[in-house]
Amino acid sequence: MSTSEILFWFLSVLALFSAIMVLVSKNPIHSVLWLIVVFFAISGHYLLLNAQFLAIVNIIVYAGAIMVLFLFVIMLMNLNKETEPSRNIWMKFSGVISGGLLLWIFVSATRSAGEIVGKTAMIKEGSIGLIENLGKVLFTQYALPFEISSVLFLSAMVGAVVIGKKQ
Amino acid sequence: MNAIILSAAFGVVMMLCSFLIKNKSNFRHIASVALLILLIGNIADTYGYTFFAIDTHGMLQFNRFGLLFNSIAIGSTLLYVLLTGKEIENAGMHVAEYFTLILFVLCGVTLLSAYNNLLTLFLGIEIMSIPLYILTGSDKRNMKSNEAALKYFLMGSFSTGLMLMGIALTYGGTGTFSLEVVRNAPNMYKGLVSFLEILGLLFLLVSMAFKVSAAPFHFWTPDVYDGAPSVFTSFMATIVKAAGFIAFIKLCAVRMAETESVVDWKMIYAIIIVATLLVGNITAVFQQSVKRMLAYSSIAQAGFMLFTLISLNDMAYEGILLYSAAYSLATIGIFAVLVKMKDYTFDGYNGLAKTQPVLAATNTVFLLSLSGIPLTAGFFAKYYMLAAVVKTGNYTWLVITGVLFAAVSVYYYFRVIQAMYFKEGNAETTTIVPSFKYGLIALAAIIILLGIFPTLLLRWLYF
Repeated sequence: MSTSEILFWFLSVLALFSAIMVLVSKNPIHSVLWLIVVFFAISGHYLLLNAQFLAIVNIIVYAGAIMVLFLFVIMLMNLNKETEPSRNIWMKFSGVISGGLLLWIFVSATRSAGEIVGKTAMIKEGSIGLIENLGKVLFTQYALPFEISSVLFLSAMVGAVVIGKKQ
Repeated sequence: MNAIILSAAFGVVMMLCSFLIKNKSNFRHIASVALLILLIGNIADTYGYTFFAIDTHGMLQFNRFGLLFNSIAIGSTLLYVLLTGKEIENAGMHVAEYFTLILFVLCGVTLLSAYNNLLTLFLGIEIMSIPLYILTGSDKRNMKSNEAALKYFLMGSFSTGLMLMGIALTYGGTGTFSLEVVRNAPNMYKGLVSFLEILGLLFLLVSMAFKVSAAPFHFWTPDVYDGAPSVFTSFMATIVKAAGFIAFIKLCAVRMAETESVVDWKMIYAIIIVATLLVGNITAVFQQSVKRMLAYSSIAQAGFMLFTLISLNDMAYEGILLYSAAYSLATIGIFAVLVKMKDYTFDGYNGLAKTQPVLAATNTVFLLSLSGIPLTAGFFAKYYMLAAVVKTGNYTWLVITGVLFAAVSVYYYFRVIQAMYFKEGNAETTTIVPSFKYGLIALAAIIILLGIFPTLLLRWLYF
């Protein structure tokens, strides 16, 4: 087993384990902290795929900004065990069924996806995720969506002002 | 391209107006002029006068169908602003911003009529949705409006998440974001359809069905449409919804059709259509508030527009254009009358024919059009939809179901007419100016004209 393979398995196990911990933790703060571990593990995967920019952005945006926001919201709402809503048995039952169906679809899709084998992970030699190539593609082929997304952010900004401003 | 750039630019101009101009009532006039220029720009684009030569790298593809739809959408918005602009001023404090957001929504609409890439599809859907979350919650003092906005935002972002997941999975399956996939390219797996792509398309189908409020993804619609300020419900239920359909149809016509050999998509559409018609029509029957009834009726009308997905022939494309025009105009008219009413229940309409004969008469035309009575635009819209399915030769049972539910819909639309004309009461309205009445009459005239000569609109598709 090469180093990258060992790293891959280690990161995968870490990501899956902490993702499960996010769900089973009773304390919401613990859930958020486990979620940060998930993001770091996924960033590790990005690094293995030679996508440094994506890895850094993932950490800065998700593990940094969004997680802090999550923590703030949880602290402001003052969630603890007493306020946890009691779920009834039918809710749980339907949740298990629909989640199980989704899992079934996912598993069967990946099982039959024979074409993936041998052409996904471009470890080491793949340079598609390097910031140089990303910039080139972003400002040539994807220039139009890049510019149009400014309208999206502008409307979100206008919205934030409209909602946040005092009457 | 003209419409995309101009709508974004006018949005920015409107935004700057908010602190340059103090008089509130000016915003309405500026917005009307901007929309008029937008309409002219789009028509110029239709006949080859593109003001901006931009290499889109295949991200956008303009055709006559999409450009004509743009004209319908912009024209409907213009009529909407002219008719109910006064009410937008009363909806909240930030009037100029509301017009800004409406123009940004139009930018999203024009993107959706021209997208040729899943990335631009996503951007279009988001540019269209995010301003709507804000418009829904614009009545900040009203708890119902706040609740509706939050609900819409949470549900909408969840469906956006599904859409992104779907796009990512289809990318995994095909290695490209573009709508048309070259199936025999060397990097494809022996020209076969990947299961990742199928799974991704399924996710895309779910999120698009959510955006057009097709059952079983319609649960947000009644609450959001009911809670939002009525003027903005009118905009949401008409132009935005029609644009969602245009995007949905393109996705199905290109992407789903390519994978027809693996999945029986048409059967899935048929199930969605029947469920949508059933839920929309049957629940609308039991409503007491006209606004809530219109929310369910918009679900029911969505069921009819979905017929295009089954047929996907020339007649269906003509039909969806006519349907979006007929449905948008009629619904804008009904909401324009609704916002003038003091009481939104059916009883609130009692005796409107005595107090406001013009309002009652035009409202009757709009309601007849929605239920699909001949001599109104709604009849030919429904006729084209159903005839296009008949033309394909299959799914006759679906057509019969559609006709049956159209008959059911007559019941709840006629309840309003019955209340206006045959019930004793004293329907109270806010003050109504003569120009508003003329606007309603003009709208009703357009609907009747389209009902007699549908080719007035459709011939623009060909020359």
